[in-house]
Amino acid sequence: MGTTDSEQTAAGLIEDPKSFDPKGTLALILVYFCILVTMWVYIYFVEFLGNDLIVVG
Amino acid sequence: MHVHSYEKIWLALGLGLILLLIGSVTYGAVGPGVSMVAADQPTVDPTALDEDDRFAEPRVEQVGENEYEAYVVAYQFGFEPDPIVIPANSTVTFMVTSRDVTHGFEVVGTNANTMVIPGEVSTLTVETGGPTEYGVICNEYCGAAHHGMEATIEVVPQDEFESSTGGSTDSGGSTDGDGSGGDQ
Amino acid sequence: MTATADAPATTSPDATNEPVTNEDDPDGDGDGAATPEGTFYDRFPAEARIVRATFLGAFLAFAIGTTFGIIQTLHRTGIARPFSSVDYYTFLTAHGVFLVLSFTIFFLVGVFTWALVRSLDRPLVNTRFSWAWYGLMAVGMTLTGITILAGFTSAVDLSADVLFTFYAPLQAHPLFYGGLAVFLVGTWLAGLDWWRTYLAWRRENPDERIPLQTFMVLTTTIMWYVATSALAISVLFFLLPWSLGLIETVNPTLTRTLFWFFGHPVVYFWLMPAYLLWYTVLPSIAGGRLFSDPLARVVFVLFLLLSTPVGIHHQYLDPGIAEGFKFVSMTNTMFLLLPSLLTAFTVVASVEYGARVRGGTGLFGWLRTLPWRDPAFTGMMLAGLMFAAGGYSGMVNAGMNINYLIHNTIWVPGHFHLTVGTAVALTFMAATYWLWPQITNKPIYSKQIGLAQVVLWFAGMALMSNAMHAQGLLGAPRRTAEPEYAGFEYGTAFGGFQELNVQIAIGGTILFASAVLFLSNVVLTMGNSRTDGLAETISEPISGPEDAPLVLDNIRLWGGIAVLLVLLAYALPIVAIIQRGGLFGPGGEAFPMVLDALSILVDRAPDAIALLTDRAVDALGGGRLGGWP
Ligand code: HEM
Ligand SMILES: [Cu+2]
Ligand SMILES: [Cu+2]
Repeated sequence: MGTTDSEQTAAGLIEDPKSFDPKGTLALILVYFCILVTMWVYIYFVEFLGNDLIVVG
Repeated sequence: MHVHSYEKIWLALGLGLILLLIGSVTYGAVGPGVSMVAADQPTVDPTALDEDDRFAEPRVEQVGENEYEAYVVAYQFGFEPDPIVIPANSTVTFMVTSRDVTHGFEVVGTNANTMVIPGEVSTLTVETGGPTEYGVICNEYCGAAHHGMEATIEVVPQDEFESSTGGSTDSGGSTDGDGSGGDQ
Repeated sequence: MTATADAPATTSPDATNEPVTNEDDPDGDGDGAATPEGTFYDRFPAEARIVRATFLGAFLAFAIGTTFGIIQTLHRTGIARPFSSVDYYTFLTAHGVFLVLSFTIFFLVGVFTWALVRSLDRPLVNTRFSWAWYGLMAVGMTLTGITILAGFTSAVDLSADVLFTFYAPLQAHPLFYGGLAVFLVGTWLAGLDWWRTYLAWRRENPDERIPLQTFMVLTTTIMWYVATSALAISVLFFLLPWSLGLIETVNPTLTRTLFWFFGHPVVYFWLMPAYLLWYTVLPSIAGGRLFSDPLARVVFVLFLLLSTPVGIHHQYLDPGIAEGFKFVSMTNTMFLLLPSLLTAFTVVASVEYGARVRGGTGLFGWLRTLPWRDPAFTGMMLAGLMFAAGGYSGMVNAGMNINYLIHNTIWVPGHFHLTVGTAVALTFMAATYWLWPQITNKPIYSKQIGLAQVVLWFAGMALMSNAMHAQGLLGAPRRTAEPEYAGFEYGTAFGGFQELNVQIAIGGTILFASAVLFLSNVVLTMGNSRTDGLAETISEPISGPEDAPLVLDNIRLWGGIAVLLVLLAYALPIVAIIQRGGLFGPGGEAFPMVLDALSILVDRAPDAIALLTDRAVDALGGGRLGGWP
């Protein structure tokens, strides 16, 4: 869990690996999450529900 | 067990995503009313389709006010009837079955798409818009000439549909006169 | 601990095959932590030979499969059609079977054998038994392969143009099913081999935690037993007797359902060795450490539990299966996203740790400090990136009603070339650059070529897969020799059908070039002479197994729950299917694919000729680039 961030130096991390906060990973994965949600909304509500011949029965 | 707080955040977002996905699908089913191909018809004997009054003569038939049923047989390597002529601005239920192997029935560029499995009848109800034409293809490999398996759907104005049913669907023509009885 | 570098002083006296053919053998056997501990080849030469044999089997399948891949690509897109469109389906059957059954599974048994022996630090109980399962797998796949390839010639009465899904009533030659059964038994015995070895280790080490890699191997094996049970029933009780003429009909929906009972978990079976490598090897290559051993275990348990009760998601558009069953399957499927999402975080964090230790800084700047010149690292990272993209199309495939949009379109091959075709295949190639020296003591011929190769695979797949997705949205079908039709034209979104064809063809060509580079590199590597000093170590997790609750290691418990979930998910649908159509189906005939092709040629010759001339004119008269009508 959160140590004082930005204090993570290479030496510090080797000494106490459990102090490691994967900030970069969190950032990357949040970007991924936003892409996923946007593209899902597009394909479901625009491509699919906006398509011809919706099957209703 | 110790889980890093960032990973807990990610886990929560992941669960949120799953709920969004299931929620969207549920919305599609409830809102616009999208419904799945399912087990609503009894099975048929694929080698005895000529004894089934729907598939003995594949055709389009009126079954109610502005409601039509299209009985379609998929076979190696085509669809019957072809073209499938349906009226514009109506509710059409496709009933598709196979007399040999597994096929697909895909109205290209639309959501009408189903597997066609021998012994089962796939039903798809759609609402047509204005007059237009669609391609129909088989999208499940069914043998050596699979890539040649196609048909067309002609969505024609209502009046044209009524006047044309005598002649345009070659096999179904003769029965279409009593079509409006809606016996099914 | 246990799993890793601190080799316990037991230098594994390798009972089976004594003479170690190499001179080096660096371990002075008391080995203090400082001295390198020797490669896998040094320590377990007999096992190393088995792993090498499985890899070679995999590469052979890969060579044939990718060759057919490029032929299909050029044929489908209309760039070059040197073979008839009837043969297309023979190529496609072979491409599917060789790549996703042969290549992936042969490589998997190699990785698992390596991982198990390495992490238990103990030889297999009996390598003769191991060669026996290897032999069964090889013989079975050869039989199946021969029946498929015989489809190219009418000289022999063999054929199996049924694609790797072999949906009845399309019927293959009995040897096709027989070969599959033999192959399957081989994989079962491989699993037995790993379990026996584990249990022997357990007797010697009653109090130790199961090493992480072994844990992954054991859970995946249980998943495989659960999954293949249905395939075995389908083949042994229905398809094989039917192809032999012992029973007259089968129920197409039932055999389809049994296939997909197996067919979804098999995709995780392909993926698990890639995950194993991402969790245990990739962080070490990056100079990092696995972020969390306990979460890795949780992920594998989740796959064991959830990967089977979901197969009906391949049958969303099947008639004869109630909507409720489809919805349940979808819900399970969506939860199966979790273990993959967790993996993404854990693996990237493990790599980030490596980057930070190397002095990387900033929110994204650390990415620059990673060893991008190492083909093993870059290959696995790009594979992971592609898997993230595949996760998107996978979500779409999993959504029940949106399946109407993409079912059986080329979107679907677009999706799985990202997952099995890249996340798995590229990881295997990348891992080869790391693993091959470990199991042979031969250095890779050229790491530069390796680096170019993995980057090319990524680029080629990005092009091909992206265009396939787009064509799928236009409605272009998969599994079709000639996706152009007389009666309609595709829409023009995403650049239009013909332009996308060009992208697919370019992408496929780059992929094939990458495959050639990979295979050449392996062959040239085999010509290198053995050296020492190639040993690599695997680093300790940051949060080790001591943080993982003991119950996680209770594989029997998880296996039991997995079976229960499968019963809950499948008992009702299967009973319903049998009640509807009967055990042997509502009638119908068999369609043996060899007779089929002949009679069609005779029957449809006039049509076909007309069609062909038509298309030929099209192709010549400005078909290629802009000329699509
Ligand atoms: C040189 C690389 C490759 C190329 C050019 C290629 C190309 C293709 C193409 C164009 C198709 C679609 C055919 C159709 O549906 O009409 C296809 C199908 C397929 N590919 Fe690949 N592929 C390659 C590598 C791989 C790899 C590495 C795998 C898996 C490990 C793989 C697995 C599959 C599978 C399972 C199918 C579906 C077969 C079926 O529908 O029955 N491919 N491939
Ligand atoms: Cu077909
Ligand atoms: Cu699946």
